[in-house]
Amino acid sequence: MLKKTAIDKISELASRMMEQGTLIAPVKEDGYFHFRDIADVKAVDLNYHNTVTSPKSVFFPPVEDFIHYETGKSILDAVTVELNVKPTFLFGVRPCDVRSFQIMDIHFSGTGSVDPYWQKRREATVIFGYAFYLDEPAQAEEFYSTLGIGAADPEGSDIFMIRKENDLLLKSMTSKGEKILDRLSVHDAATPEDEKYFEEYIHRGRQTRTRFTCIEKSNIAKKLEDLFHNNDFWMKISSACLSCGVCTFLCPNCYCFDICDETLFGKGTRRRVWDACMFTDFTLEASGHNPRTQVYQRLRQKINHKYSYHVRKYDTISCVGCGRCTRHCPVNIDIFSIVEDAMKA
Amino acid sequence: MSANSNPYIPVPTQISRIINEVDTNDIKTFRLTFLNKEDEKNFQYLPGQFAELSIYGKGESPIGIASSPTEPGYVEFTVQRAGTVLPGLVTAALHDMDEGGKIGLRGPLGHPWPIEFLQNKNIVVVGGGFAFTTLRSLINYMLYPENRGRFGEITVIYGARTPGLLLYKDELATWEKRNDIKTVITVDKGDEDWKGRQGFVPAVCKEEAPSPHNTVAVICGPPIMIKFTLPVFFELGFSKENILTSLEMRMKCGIGKCGRCNVGYKYVCSDGPVFSLAELDELPRDF
Repeated sequence: MLKKTAIDKISELASRMMEQGTLIAPVKEDGYFHFRDIADVKAVDLNYHNTVTSPKSVFFPPVEDFIHYETGKSILDAVTVELNVKPTFLFGVRPCDVRSFQIMDIHFSGTGSVDPYWQKRREATVIFGYAFYLDEPAQAEEFYSTLGIGAADPEGSDIFMIRKENDLLLKSMTSKGEKILDRLSVHDAATPEDEKYFEEYIHRGRQTRTRFTCIEKSNIAKKLEDLFHNNDFWMKISSACLSCGVCTFLCPNCYCFDICDETLFGKGTRRRVWDACMFTDFTLEASGHNPRTQVYQRLRQKINHKYSYHVRKYDTISCVGCGRCTRHCPVNIDIFSIVEDAMKA
Repeated sequence: MSANSNPYIPVPTQISRIINEVDTNDIKTFRLTFLNKEDEKNFQYLPGQFAELSIYGKGESPIGIASSPTEPGYVEFTVQRAGTVLPGLVTAALHDMDEGGKIGLRGPLGHPWPIEFLQNKNIVVVGGGFAFTTLRSLINYMLYPENRGRFGEITVIYGARTPGLLLYKDELATWEKRNDIKTVITVDKGDEDWKGRQGFVPAVCKEEAPSPHNTVAVICGPPIMIKFTLPVFFELGFSKENILTSLEMRMKCGIGKCGRCNVGYKYVCSDGPVFSLAELDELPRDF
């Protein structure tokens, strides 16, 4: 069912959510937007294009504590850190970022061993997707349409939201979303015109133009396989790369992590922390052998992982065209151009 | 959250026995017994699998299982003290521990040697140096009285640089006395006490010339040994499907999540570490 609330009343909606659980929403900090735990409803700000950091950290935080231990004590005294998951509302996620959760689900909970941290947080969270504002053009770095994602694509959202002038239209897309939307009960009734507007908006979103190139997943996967040993290609595209890893940390689909023990004054924690295939010691073995000592080998790994290995392994490209890696790369490396060049090579 | 439902949490074990394997004192076999019966019951493994040895404050190390599941009550790991190039924190701490010490164990991880595929075939096991641990597990598994009939002829060709660097010396001696396994031990260079064979593993394989008929070769060793041994087996007529090996890469999670041990689209930890040469041929040379 479609519901409606005035945009300037979203703090009321936010209060209702905070009564029932944790609210995570876009917040403006020093001129940039990030998803943050909301303490003050006035901080929720939907006047954004997209956040600098991706919302993956809601389910896969940069630091996750596994075990507390004390050195010198028995292993039997170590304590497993309990995962206390509260009902969570993730509010205002753009369609491409919502899609990234579905892609990460395949890896973390859909195949092989289940990652309990990802799975439990995902289950406890209601996703409020939020259509891009179609009257504004897509940003130069974005290419989500190339990957089949519409600017107002409701797929993967529990509740999908569209802005209509000074109102926010909300529609439940899953039974989980429906229950929540009923309970929030701060909205005016939507009119049949609103219904029509909502459906047309989703449709119009499909026509939004982002950068576009024709990519078919098995095609690009094969192209990259064939290009693997073409060192000239990889040297050229990586010649400016600093191996800083910012692309991987901002990427909604990068999931590589390290597990490390950090001890201070005899007390320590085993924790996982985000890691990046762009770092040279990522693959450094105890023997001293390292299969990826060169920058071009590591950038090749990153591109292949997203557009080739992931397709072979999970039948999907591990990129949603959000443009964050390109937008924030200090030397303007553009993944879209690399993929485009690979298709032509 | 119980340890069973969380694959990142190790279970506690006690070191019940330590064997110093080599005269350079940097390779030891650690026998671990589980502190909880339930954990022992859950640790169902086959030869070729590995586990993460865990010491809080140091970290975890992925190590192949050297014992055979036919020896119940414990699990063994043969561990080299790493540190010639980089400080191996976990292996150094482990080497400094005594019997009775407690460490964590996470596993079993990875895919085993494909036992069903090996059944009713002749098996040639080729090992070099320290890379003999999961091969030892496989040999002991096949030699177990109830299992022996499931496999054809078993040939073991095992080499080390010097006699003092051979692992499992007592066991090698008992295999040499048996008539249901052919054991060929060689060293690159003997000493005054060495009465056995001298020569590099590839040359010995060529001399032994195992028949490829209904036979699978299982080969593990240092890269240089592998490089020169494979052509020998190709020349003998072994197909790539019938040559198996086990890969190593840097690992952390061991369950295909942390993203670092991939070769192409395969994770060595969860898709391997056991691969046939035919499977490796499909992957990029990125290891």
